[in-house]
Amino acid sequence: MRTLPPVLLAALTLCAFPFTASRAGQAAAQDADEERTTIGGYGEVHYTNATGSDTPGEVNVSRFVVFLAHSFSERIAFRSELEVEDAKIAGGEAGGEVALEQLYLDYTFSPAATLRAGLVLPPIGILNETHEPPTFNGVERPAFDHDVIPSTWRDIGVGMVGSIPGSSGLNYRVFLLNGLVAEGFSAEEGIRGGRQEGREASFANPSLTGRLEWARPGLRIGGSFWYGGSSAADPALGDGTFDNAVALVSADARYDVGPFMFRGVVANVSISDVEEINSAFAEAVGSRIAGGYVEGAYNLLAALSPASTQRLNAFIRHERYNTQAGVPDGVTRDDALARRITTLGLSYKPVYNVVFKGDYQLRRNRAGVGEDEQLALGVGYQF
Amino acid sequence: MPVSAASVAAQAAPRAKLAHSIERVYGAGAQVDTLHVDSATVYRISRGGALLGFAQVRNVKGKEQPITYLVATDSSDALRDIDILVYREPYGGEVAYDPWRKQFRGKTAAAPLQLGKDIRNISGATISSNAVTRAVRKTLADLTAWHAAGKLR
Repeated sequence: MRTLPPVLLAALTLCAFPFTASRAGQAAAQDADEERTTIGGYGEVHYTNATGSDTPGEVNVSRFVVFLAHSFSERIAFRSELEVEDAKIAGGEAGGEVALEQLYLDYTFSPAATLRAGLVLPPIGILNETHEPPTFNGVERPAFDHDVIPSTWRDIGVGMVGSIPGSSGLNYRVFLLNGLVAEGFSAEEGIRGGRQEGREASFANPSLTGRLEWARPGLRIGGSFWYGGSSAADPALGDGTFDNAVALVSADARYDVGPFMFRGVVANVSISDVEEINSAFAEAVGSRIAGGYVEGAYNLLAALSPASTQRLNAFIRHERYNTQAGVPDGVTRDDALARRITTLGLSYKPVYNVVFKGDYQLRRNRAGVGEDEQLALGVGYQF
Repeated sequence: MPVSAASVAAQAAPRAKLAHSIERVYGAGAQVDTLHVDSATVYRISRGGALLGFAQVRNVKGKEQPITYLVATDSSDALRDIDILVYREPYGGEVAYDPWRKQFRGKTAAAPLQLGKDIRNISGATISSNAVTRAVRKTLADLTAWHAAGKLR
């Protein structure tokens, strides 16, 4: 960022005045292509209170994210996101996180082809790429987007992004990224602990990930995949590039019609040679992790106050997933991991970028163990 | 008469796109005159002396970069079309596609021009669809008001 001495700045402004006054309208379009720095962000604050006497209410600054971008020219841009979770990190205490979520350069050759390199978001499902608070219902992110598709998932690599020409409504993203590390897999959270998150990540298992989307007004359908090894050259597992491969496929859809909004996601994750992983790290990781959710929402203000541009979305979501959908020999399924979660709530959006949320969540599982309900309230913004 | 090179030369960056866009909307051989209204640039399009409509280029902020768009009206202040002249971001570019843009054709400043009402949004690209819809509504309102006030002669 550059700043000029005030006197020089004033002198330049005075010299430019006769020209700018009459060309303000044209300047608007011309300035659009000059070098530009943008700052933005999103954030959310939560209140959660689970049922049960030993779980009092808790409030937390869940996320504060700063988005910083700079366009160097019409074709080259830099984009980044820095996140602070849980308000602070104090030495010696657990909790909190400061982390880069994204940091990459885009080089646009055409609308069909942009080269992207850096720390990027694997284009899997809906929430991993689009998780600003005003873009989803419910205070906390769906548990499926934590345990099955481990959002916010980010890795380092290179790839291409673009829209298939001809106004077909198709667009794609494909990347070659560093892989997951099996040592971090778990029975409860699947592959989530295996994410390297951009810090000194092993590139022993380069992995391929991609997405194809089709969009029309009111409808967006997408399919994503991830394929790569996870052994990270660990002597207990193997040093082959595709050892202990993780294969993920998912499909999702969003459909908006009038005051109604629907969305759904399904995903299936298969882990090869998971017995090796379990014996090396004394874990009970599933050989298959699968599930999904459907959600419907209705803007109450469309009926109560049709002229309003505000939104009061009433929603209901049902999630059903199992991090031990498949287990290898030697692992006994824990039926408590077959989750069924129903969330009902309201999202009030006075303007598009701000949301006040409330929800009530019923958390159930096949074993009927450890079930509870949770009330949550939240405030979120993006800009 | 071809689109006057002198009249579009004054417009910045997307000159070729602007000329192409005007030709697509109003047909070949239209006369384009540049007017300055309230320090804004408006194009008056006519053929053989008969008014065809007005057009204006503006920018609206998308997620982070400006979206350069064109609003084109007919002689009775209804939208002939909108066009996205430059889209600078990697996501949300579906606002440039015909299936979304054609929802605007024929609407006047009296129409709601709101997402979720008379304009369907683009799921997953709500920031750009929201921004462009609001911006087109404002531009159309301005063009209609200027025309009624006699400022577009």
